[in-house]
Amino acid sequence: MILTLLDFQILAAALFSLGLYGVLARRSAVMVLMAVELMLNAVNINLVAFSAFRPIPVVTGQVIAIFVITVAAAEVALALAVIMRLYRRRGTVNVDEINLMKG
Amino acid sequence: MGLVLFYILGTITIVAALGVVTTRNIVYGALFLLVSLSGVAGLFVVLFAEFLALVQLLIYGGAIIIVILFALMLTRETDFSTATEHRRWPFAALVSLALFGLLAGSAIGDSGKYNTYTRTGFGIEDLGVGLFENWAVPFEVASIILLVALIGAIVIGRSGDDEDNADKTGERGEQ
Amino acid sequence: MGIEEAWLIPTYGFIAFGVIALFGRYLPSQGKHLSIIAIVAGFVTFWPVLFDFVHLGVGEHHVPRVWFSAGEFSVGSGMIIDPLTIVMLALVTFVASLVQIYSLGYMRHGHKGHIADDPRIGWYFAVHSLFTAAMLTLILADNLLLLYLAWELVGLCSYLLIGFWWERKAAVNASKKAFITTRVGDVGLLIGILILAADTGTFDISAIIHQVTMGDVSEGKTTLAAFMIFLGAMGKSAQFPLHVWLPDAMEGPTPVSALIHAATMVTAGVFLVARLLPIYEIAESAQMFVAVIGIITALMGATLALVVTDLKRMLAYSTMSHLGFMMLTLGAGGYTAATFHLLMHGLSKAMLFLSAGSIMHSMNEETDMNKMGGLRHRMPITGAAFTIGALSLSGIAPLAAFWSKDEMLLAIKDGLNPVFVGLFLIAVVLSALYMARATYLVFFGPLKPENRAVHESPLLMSLPLVVLAVLSVCAGFIVLPLGGGYEGIGRFLFHGEHGHDFELQPLWTVVSVVLATGGFALGIGLYKSSRSTVDSVRKRFSGVHRTLINRYYMDDIYQWFVDRVVLALGRTVALFDRTIVNDRGVNGTGLAVLGMGKRLRGHVTGLFADYGLVMAAGVTVMVLYIWRRAA
Repeated sequence: MILTLLDFQILAAALFSLGLYGVLARRSAVMVLMAVELMLNAVNINLVAFSAFRPIPVVTGQVIAIFVITVAAAEVALALAVIMRLYRRRGTVNVDEINLMKG
Repeated sequence: MGLVLFYILGTITIVAALGVVTTRNIVYGALFLLVSLSGVAGLFVVLFAEFLALVQLLIYGGAIIIVILFALMLTRETDFSTATEHRRWPFAALVSLALFGLLAGSAIGDSGKYNTYTRTGFGIEDLGVGLFENWAVPFEVASIILLVALIGAIVIGRSGDDEDNADKTGERGEQ
Repeated sequence: MGIEEAWLIPTYGFIAFGVIALFGRYLPSQGKHLSIIAIVAGFVTFWPVLFDFVHLGVGEHHVPRVWFSAGEFSVGSGMIIDPLTIVMLALVTFVASLVQIYSLGYMRHGHKGHIADDPRIGWYFAVHSLFTAAMLTLILADNLLLLYLAWELVGLCSYLLIGFWWERKAAVNASKKAFITTRVGDVGLLIGILILAADTGTFDISAIIHQVTMGDVSEGKTTLAAFMIFLGAMGKSAQFPLHVWLPDAMEGPTPVSALIHAATMVTAGVFLVARLLPIYEIAESAQMFVAVIGIITALMGATLALVVTDLKRMLAYSTMSHLGFMMLTLGAGGYTAATFHLLMHGLSKAMLFLSAGSIMHSMNEETDMNKMGGLRHRMPITGAAFTIGALSLSGIAPLAAFWSKDEMLLAIKDGLNPVFVGLFLIAVVLSALYMARATYLVFFGPLKPENRAVHESPLLMSLPLVVLAVLSVCAGFIVLPLGGGYEGIGRFLFHGEHGHDFELQPLWTVVSVVLATGGFALGIGLYKSSRSTVDSVRKRFSGVHRTLINRYYMDDIYQWFVDRVVLALGRTVALFDRTIVNDRGVNGTGLAVLGMGKRLRGHVTGLFADYGLVMAAGVTVMVLYIWRRAA
């Protein structure tokens, strides 16, 4: 039995779904952020797998994955800055209580 | 060989991810994340993308997790009595499961086309050439993004502005 | 200048109204002279029209003009000049001129020797002008829409003039009553007009009559329309049961009563039926209805005139009674006789009203006949005029109204069954009776000491009286062929194939003269003798007397109806409107929207997780869709 693209795809799908659940169901903003990282990684797995499982492999997938990592790093930095701000304002990072847009 | 590695690493990754999204202790969550991301790095090696695996470990494990841990320390909730799950978590689980089903299903459906391929890798020179020739412009843009994020994070994150502490006790300016 | 220019006659009045109403403030005497000029001009313009009419040949002439049109349908504003029109034009312009001149003298009030015009004299004359203009338009109109417009305008002027002294509550109530009562009739008129117009496709009177007589309109519809139109005539001409406004209308200035409620406006109903008589002859049941209502009204008016003590009200009931005669005659098909009587009655009754005004003017607006008596010593001209008018209307030969009454009797005898004739004769006796009563009470007998200061009226008022008195004596003779191509009223003013010559049927004439004279003598005799005779009669018929005093309780019935039915209905409808239409419908719809909005707002929680959930769910669905599509 050999390793096929399908295996990686299913793995990535599972990781992605787990990440999605974390984004939607977790209460702390930092937890949500971590789940987002999981989703991004799932995407990366997919990309690299696509890049590898070809008769003649291409760099495209890996290059994109590098960019994804880059942007993820930038995004984490900013997100955490916002979270810090939020915490100072409200004393909490509980997403359930951040509802200024209510109504 | 690759198969065995895949299954071991895959399991680790998934289990750790599960831990990230279910644990009550937020610090444990961060640590689980580290494990999961390391698993992903291993998977990259299985896919003959060694450079990327190194980058993954460096960036994620070295930078992002650290920063997250810092943030965790600085935003401790005063009480942990509240639940860690949003009140609508069953729906979230449902949607996630559905999406997983869909994605997996469509992948399986299309798997006939790609079954015959095997994984192959390429040298790091090719990656370098691709990055700096075909993908030079996105590369530059990516560096600008980093710069912007850097400046933005500093601006947003600095303390001492008037708006802080305004809502904490419902009174203006007073502690 | 000929019949083509007949439209000028009403136009003077409209212009006068406009000028006085707008600029009266700046004009000398508030512009009252303008009104006089307008109406006299109208009278003067009448003569060339008459000559041209005779020159063209006595018959029906049309001067058409289009008012507005929409595609093939058009409404005209032209004129019909036929004998009826000529007669009415003569009456209206002449009597209106006299009344306005009289008003110059009447509408001045004196306080302690200082006499001045009524403070709103300008408006008085303005509305007078408007009224005559509208009445003349009504007469000239060749289509029903224009006629209806003029009809309503006339009613409006009546309302304005009855309530001229609106400082008096009684006047305000009277004008309201007049307007509302005639309005009830006007609804019928409008419905009738619309029925006819819808079926014939036109409002033109000649066209409608032609189509109806040709049988193009079903008999059922014709009858219905005839009834409805007569309803309007009943209102305007104070026929039972829409007569209740006329006695109250006496609250207005007396010249107004003379013009509007004796000679012109109230005759509009008679005029209308006469104009549309061919329709009524097709709709026989409607014509019978006209006759029945006519005789009822005549008897009712006569009996009521017998018991009232107010001079003007007596005259009002008398007018009602005579209008009843006219309607009865039309019901019998007596076109010529009814119109003839309209003319004669108009002259004499106007004069009677003006005489009453003369008395009131010098007796400080007193109208109670019991407070008068023997006034002929102090007011010889007025007394003579009044007596002549009373005799005329009682049907004493050879005065004016005798001739017309004779004609009416003949028409009724020929057209209806004997019951009507008998009732008519009873009414003749009664009318003589009440006229005699009034004449005697006011002018004869001893002069009361407090009335010694009473004096004759100024020239402005007496002159019209004299003119009308002279006419009351000799106007009747137009029934005879007077030569010069004129062959008698029967040949001038007729309906149908050819007119009839004046014929004297001795038997009937004698009967009517005897009854009239006898009635008059009886009246004089009753009141000349001591009061005890009258009082004993009153006691014996006390029940009847009470009913008459209470006007057959008609006002009470109407009031009850208004209070119980109309107002109750109004309250119910108002309730429905407030609760269901307003609260549920209008407010309710708004509140429902608000409520829905409030409920819908619930899902905008402001929580990121909720939004995210929905988005994720949506994405899942989309992926599913795309996947299935691609498969």
